Amino acid sequence: MWVGLESEEYDRMYKDRVLVKRIIQYFGPYKRPMSFVVFLLTLSSLASSFTPFLTTLVLNNLETNRNISYLVLVIGLVFSLNVFGWVFNYFRRRKISRIIGDVVLDLRSDSTKAVLMHDLSFFDRNPIGKIVSRVNTDSSDIGQVVELSLDLVSSFFIVIFLLIVMALMNLMLFFVTLITFPLFFIVAFAYRKIARERALLGQRALASVNAYVKESFSGIQIAKTFRKETKLYETFNEVNNISYKVNLRRGFTFSIVWPALSMIQGLVLTLIIFLGGASVLNGSISIGDLNLFLSGLNFLFFPLISIASFWPVFQTGMAASERIFALIDTIPLVIQNDTIKPPKLNGEIEFKDVTFRYEASKEIFQNFNLRIDSGESLAIVGHTGAGKSSLAKLIARFYEFQEGDILVDGISIRDYDLNEYRRQVGIIPQTPFLWSDTLENNIKYCCKSATDEAVINALDSSSGSDWVEDLSDGLKTYTGERGSLLSMGQRQLVVFARVILENPSILILDEATASVDPFTETKIQDALQKTIEGRTSIIIAHRLWTVRHVDRIIVMDHGKIVEEGNHDELMAKGGTYAELYNTYFRHQSLEYIEKMKEIVQNKT
Amino acid sequence: MKNSKSETNQKRIVEFSPEGKDPFEKARHKGSRRWIFSHLFYKSNKFLIAIVLFTTILTSNLWSITSILIGNAINDFVLGKTSSLIYYTVFILLLNVGSPFLRMLSFALREILAHRMERDCRSEFYTNLLGKSQSFHEQIQIGELMALATNDVRMLNFLISPAMSLIFESFTALIIPLFYIIIFYPVQLLLAPLVFAVLFIISLKFYVKNLTPISFQLRGFFAGMNTTLNETLTGIEVVKATVQEAGELEKYVLNASGYRDAFIKQGHVQAKYWPFLILALTITFGLTHGIILNFTIGFSIGYIIGYTALLRQLGFPTQISIFVFATVRVAITSAQRLLNLMNRETEIDENIKGISKSINGGIKFEDVSFTYPGSDKPVLSNINLELKPGQTVAIVGTTGSGKTTLTKLISRLYDVDKGKILVDNVDIRDYALKSLRSQISYIEQDVFLFSDSVFNNISFGRTSSEEEIIQVAKEAQAHEFICDLPDQYKSEVGERGVQLSGGERQRIAIARAFLSDPRILILDDSTSAIDSNTEDKIQRAIRNILKDRTTLLITHRLSQIRWADLIIVLKKGEIAAMGTHDDLLSISPEYQKIFVKKFDVDVEKLIKQDEGF
Repeated sequence: MWVGLESEEYDRMYKDRVLVKRIIQYFGPYKRPMSFVVFLLTLSSLASSFTPFLTTLVLNNLETNRNISYLVLVIGLVFSLNVFGWVFNYFRRRKISRIIGDVVLDLRSDSTKAVLMHDLSFFDRNPIGKIVSRVNTDSSDIGQVVELSLDLVSSFFIVIFLLIVMALMNLMLFFVTLITFPLFFIVAFAYRKIARERALLGQRALASVNAYVKESFSGIQIAKTFRKETKLYETFNEVNNISYKVNLRRGFTFSIVWPALSMIQGLVLTLIIFLGGASVLNGSISIGDLNLFLSGLNFLFFPLISIASFWPVFQTGMAASERIFALIDTIPLVIQNDTIKPPKLNGEIEFKDVTFRYEASKEIFQNFNLRIDSGESLAIVGHTGAGKSSLAKLIARFYEFQEGDILVDGISIRDYDLNEYRRQVGIIPQTPFLWSDTLENNIKYCCKSATDEAVINALDSSSGSDWVEDLSDGLKTYTGERGSLLSMGQRQLVVFARVILENPSILILDEATASVDPFTETKIQDALQKTIEGRTSIIIAHRLWTVRHVDRIIVMDHGKIVEEGNHDELMAKGGTYAELYNTYFRHQSLEYIEKMKEIVQNKT
Repeated sequence: MKNSKSETNQKRIVEFSPEGKDPFEKARHKGSRRWIFSHLFYKSNKFLIAIVLFTTILTSNLWSITSILIGNAINDFVLGKTSSLIYYTVFILLLNVGSPFLRMLSFALREILAHRMERDCRSEFYTNLLGKSQSFHEQIQIGELMALATNDVRMLNFLISPAMSLIFESFTALIIPLFYIIIFYPVQLLLAPLVFAVLFIISLKFYVKNLTPISFQLRGFFAGMNTTLNETLTGIEVVKATVQEAGELEKYVLNASGYRDAFIKQGHVQAKYWPFLILALTITFGLTHGIILNFTIGFSIGYIIGYTALLRQLGFPTQISIFVFATVRVAITSAQRLLNLMNRETEIDENIKGISKSINGGIKFEDVSFTYPGSDKPVLSNINLELKPGQTVAIVGTTGSGKTTLTKLISRLYDVDKGKILVDNVDIRDYALKSLRSQISYIEQDVFLFSDSVFNNISFGRTSSEEEIIQVAKEAQAHEFICDLPDQYKSEVGERGVQLSGGERQRIAIARAFLSDPRILILDDSTSAIDSNTEDKIQRAIRNILKDRTTLLITHRLSQIRWADLIIVLKKGEIAAMGTHDDLLSISPEYQKIFVKKFDVDVEKLIKQDEGF
């Protein structure tokens, strides 16, 4: 079960031609340095391809008239070509790495910008890990492909030049040399298919190893308590051995291709020796010419082997560019009708015949109507899927509704400038999110310029700052990745302080369900009480204390409001709310706690 | 512990070792190079290495012979020896077809070596981790272990193939032609290749030295890009709600620009790779030298061609050195990382000869203080505490108050710094570790289930009797929901199976604990139940399990605290208050506040209410 080698599907949407065009567009701003690179590239290729040609001249002269000054001249030329070739290459590589560095940076910031523009439905569809790897890794792959292409173009120049010289010298040997190409490509293509398959299997086997390591050490404590090490060890060896076998096969495949290709080179070399030797013997070509064919073979094989061994890199590069362009091209769904910059909002909210769905066919709200007064605190209760959090997310403009309208202070929220509007909406999510930064910076995340005093004030007017003083470095305490160095409850307190500092007109609070130690719990109650004061607050409530303290409770079921009123009224009514109370809130009551002893003892 | 009865009286403590002796144990303590070599020459590997070295040297010889033969052939052609044509053709054909076969053989063998290295190192690493103590595993992130077990171990594979094989191959390609020059040509022709070798090695050294810090920078910035973007997208709701998109983009671009700069620097260093120039000049110089000899001592043209062909073999080391040394460096760093982890000692002694007996479960803390290794702030100070067998004790306090640490000291996941802990009036350090731990069970906050059936997750090999498993599942209030699963007790759970909720996983862990029947139970009960029905079940399960055992509860549940025999309020590592619910209501204002605030009642009413029961 640990060695799943099943495949993943991937569909191409763009044509190769389109992709290449898009990549070239990204080089548009760098036209001038780019043409300089091409110029240097041509020069250095010419320098390299002239060397074997000049060597031929030297050898021919040595064989015939042995003119010393001619020899000195040509050899001097070869020396200077060596130097120039290197210098041209030096400048080319410097330039090109700068250009590629810049283009990759452009790609990265463009795609990140595009990602940040999307509404939350985008993040529901695309897992974060995949987005991150598209932005960071795929952009690198594109850069690599461009670099390799330039190297290949350079080799290509050399090959063409040499082939022309060869054809002019001796047609028979020229055709013999040409045999290389079909032979080479037959081997390379036959090999490519097998290699790809093996490589894929190898990766999956390794992924299985990875997954097993994760599993065993996630549960190491239990394994230890129950002495299950031997079983873990045996399964691991099984998984590890399969990975060994599969990857060894992959290794074999990859190591065979080089010798196989060099065998082709050997065959052609033998042919040239035989036919060329015969030609030398009957005097139809000179030794220098034969030497050109012999040494030219190396020049031919080098780019061919590059193409063969870097073909997969090209393919990943093309796939990478497709993924990254797809990311940039996705259109954000946010609808904006106007850009009114709101003054300080009063926070009067009205839902007018709102219809909303995440996916076609699955309606969350249909003609939903609700009025929330300025400064009112409203708790929403109901079963999972009743539409509680959708309601909150629509107000925050995390998602777009399809029909009807939502008015804040009498104006459609689509008419407000999105950023200015959001600045006046404070959100406390169910799972508090903290940045891996200091506690202080987390509190003033929304208002970077806030003074120390303001931060302490925010803390004081939510949960009090004494708990912060108990931490090792007070406000400067590092909170860890996602706040992991603080407890769930402490993270919530930080978020409360953050919102107080932000001072929004509308507060949306999705109450946490995670359990919190009783001391922190009392602080959260303090913080909640002070945060909802004086602003319109919409609370998705899970706590008994909360529903008892709000102005109004609405009970939701399948996207509709079924009951309204305060706690006591609704309890007296004995309807849906009373039922919900028995399901979700009963165990939080004092009576339940006091009766606990009996309940347990009687029923078991 | 069971398998580590090492006869050799070694000091090292392992909690698990599968086949007795560990062949790499010594080498691990002698540095990464020694360790790599001990793996490399392990058992039948020596034989493979010999063949690889032999074939590599042989192939290099064949290449050189080919070059010489081509030179000689051309000489003979010039002299018009028609008969030699067939002779040379056949020889060159044989050499050119034969040497690729030899190379295939040696490539295949080095792949075997490389993959064995990977497999064996990974297995060694894994086994070693299994033998490490719980306190070790708590300090280490699983993500880090995964990266080490796959990426870093794979680097050791790459170290053998291609890196070390290529280095050896290029080394022979640098040396072997020299012999052929000595044998077949005038000795003075050694000048060009020798000068090349010296200059090549010097410039290579500088190249590697310049490139290393840059590649570290690149990796650092890349990691930075990944972390920032990942964090931004994870917190996207907060980013949007507080309108910080621009700031987040800036954070990311900062890292991406750093990467760009390092990338350009890398390009500059790579552009300045001198060996390419040195090689080209060497070959031209060799050609010139040959021509001079042609004029002075009649060194024939064929020989010149043969000689320059030999020189061209130096191209191989020149080209591969651009990347191969970087691979070696990366691999050595990886080996170092693996060793650092494997060589970490476990501080707790097994004490095999210690006391083994069944305990009653009385626990006593005498003036206990504890500071985590590497920290200077005590987590617990001067704890004095006595628990009677069978008592239920609730420990309450905020995060960082020392609750979890206090419970971990009892099963000796850590040893106290000052004072002592007694179980049944015997210092826990006098017990055999196995005897002590087997009578203490720990149900952690976030219960982990293996990717296996529910049945196996409960039984853990202790029993195969279905009735027994169902019995404990019933006591743990888990039977009902297990029966609702698609395959009941046979259902796969864990990462690849059915996802169970926190409350359900907790009840499976409780069933597990019923089966092992410990005297002391530590329950970190911070699971939240969002509906009252689940709460009822969890409450019942906990009540059942703590009957007749000494139980330490780290709990958020007010009902558990309310009915505990003893409540300990911890604050900053010290006991702030201790007593029953009623005691605490009257002496601890902080404790009072929990109830008063939550239920909007006054203290008098709370205490009065108690009298009713």
